[in-house]
Amino acid sequence: MATYILRRLIQAIPILIGISVIAFLIVHFAPGSPVDKFRSGRVNPALLEQLMVLYGLDKPLPEQFASWFTAFWQFPFREDAWGYSFRDGRPVTSVIFERIPNTLQLMGSALLVTTIISIPLGVLAAVKQYSLADKVISLLATIGYAMPSFWLGLMLLFIFGVTLKLFPLYGRHTLGEDDLPDLLWHMVLPVTSLAIQQVAGWSRYMRSSMLEVLHQDYMRTAKAKGLASSRVIFKHGLRNALIPIITLLGLTIPSLLAGAAITETIFSWPGLGFLAVQAVVGYDYPVVLAVVMIGGAMVILGNLLADVLYGLVDPRIKY
Amino acid sequence: MAETGLSPLAPELSEAGRLSATREAAGQVDEVDLIPVRTYWQLVRTRFVRHRLAVVALVTMAALVGLAIVIPTLTGDLYFKPDLTKIHGGPSLEAPLGYSNIGQNIFIRLMRALQTSLQVGFAAVLIIAVIGVTLGSIAGFFGSWVDNLIMRFVDVVLSLPTFFLIIMLVAFFGQGNKFVVIFAIGLTGWTLACRLVRAEFLRLREADFVQAARALGASSYRIASRHMLPAALAPIIVAATLGIADAVVVEAALSFLGFGISITSDASLGNMLNNAQSYFLRDPILIVYPGVVLILVVLAASFLGDGLRDALDPRQLIKR
Repeated sequence: MATYILRRLIQAIPILIGISVIAFLIVHFAPGSPVDKFRSGRVNPALLEQLMVLYGLDKPLPEQFASWFTAFWQFPFREDAWGYSFRDGRPVTSVIFERIPNTLQLMGSALLVTTIISIPLGVLAAVKQYSLADKVISLLATIGYAMPSFWLGLMLLFIFGVTLKLFPLYGRHTLGEDDLPDLLWHMVLPVTSLAIQQVAGWSRYMRSSMLEVLHQDYMRTAKAKGLASSRVIFKHGLRNALIPIITLLGLTIPSLLAGAAITETIFSWPGLGFLAVQAVVGYDYPVVLAVVMIGGAMVILGNLLADVLYGLVDPRIKY
Repeated sequence: MAETGLSPLAPELSEAGRLSATREAAGQVDEVDLIPVRTYWQLVRTRFVRHRLAVVALVTMAALVGLAIVIPTLTGDLYFKPDLTKIHGGPSLEAPLGYSNIGQNIFIRLMRALQTSLQVGFAAVLIIAVIGVTLGSIAGFFGSWVDNLIMRFVDVVLSLPTFFLIIMLVAFFGQGNKFVVIFAIGLTGWTLACRLVRAEFLRLREADFVQAARALGASSYRIASRHMLPAALAPIIVAATLGIADAVVVEAALSFLGFGISITSDASLGNMLNNAQSYFLRDPILIVYPGVVLILVVLAASFLGDGLRDALDPRQLIKR
């Protein structure tokens, strides 16, 4: 297992290099420039030239890439490894690392809620196949799947936040408070809007996975030897039906990350996605590049995590 | 419904088998021609029509496309022309959904936005299909290091945080421009199509009919384009149909965030939502309309895709 993980991590290096090249090329072939926002009749153009030199944007592209790329990997040791934000001059490492926990908080909670709701729903729909419950779940799943999460977020915000005033409209905390209940209260709407689409997708997968298991011989054997049906379903059925669901984890992380960018913006949640949107608007190159790299690393790690978990729960799989 | 004797191939196969046996025995060659032979596409149609939801989805999609073409064409520039006497006006016969904050006819604007969304959806999927089919068929046809190179590139693109990348592309290369949005979605979304085509090509490479074409001296290009590609088309058609839904949602999300199509340049479901949220207290229903249209498009595309998946799958014949 350890060698497998190591091998996968080594394989991730060329992928990350590829991501960095693509991101770098996009940023640097973009027509605009970060100093454009200062350009006006009253600003001395020489000053803008100086700003370009300060940002290192006057050097040839390969040289810029080489210096950015070599510095990037030194982030565990150097605060300035990812450069300084063009916006507020702070080191990008600290700008990013203070946002990561917030995004993980949102994504993790959405994943938790998704698991808690979708697995029982999927099992119920499969065990009572073609029943009313199955049809209702399937209908809700279809609608939930078709609802874009940003529209759902907007609806939740306006119904429960603006009209009913049950939940706060933005942010992670009420000013001056930082206790857990306040945080949870702020998390309800963003997590719900992120989770509903996932719940819809997961419960459908769970249903088909469970249906497949229900027709296996060992299920009949378990029933034949007189086990209670709840024990057959949960002990013998569910545990096997859960195995393919774990691969969903790897697939869900990119979509949660994309969803987080929108959800965080709608709810002004100070996470990576909100940061990315702001950085793109402000031509904040160092932050944009770092966010893309971190996003890519999260996708790679999510896939690795899913594969490792898969191996852990299914003894038939050997690495 | 599946068991009610509609299974198209099973009786046909046995019929043909029985006949060819009798033909050999009795030499009745003429009778073979009397049996109506159904082509693959006729079978696809039979199977598709049997899938009730897919037919409903097809009709819905056709209706949406029809509305998106007809209404904006008939109404011309009414979708942006403000009528200052009707600001926040209620529903009437010529404006069934009322008027916006600057007196634009919401219904006409919504239909124009639908047109934009469908344009972006279809065009982005076209780009996805072109890139995916080209790279996927090259990888699957040539194999070895070419395949390896292309698939490593696919790995990189798959690991990119796609939505960030799309935002970056759109923001840096022309915010508010429809074509940039289409290209941004197309250039980042082709990996699934590429992998599907590659898998089909790898499977077909050793197929008898491909070997036969090769033995007859057909060029690589001809084998790939005339013999293998048509046989590899089914999963692409399905993926493309499902991809329309994704592209439409991404465009709406981009425009909602203010990166996609800007409110001053054209109507889009996303920028209508963005505008509606500013006037929520005045006119809350306005955030519902674009969402409902979006859901309709997504539902129609997904059920159409599901129906096509079942209809195009040749294995479905034997099962039913």
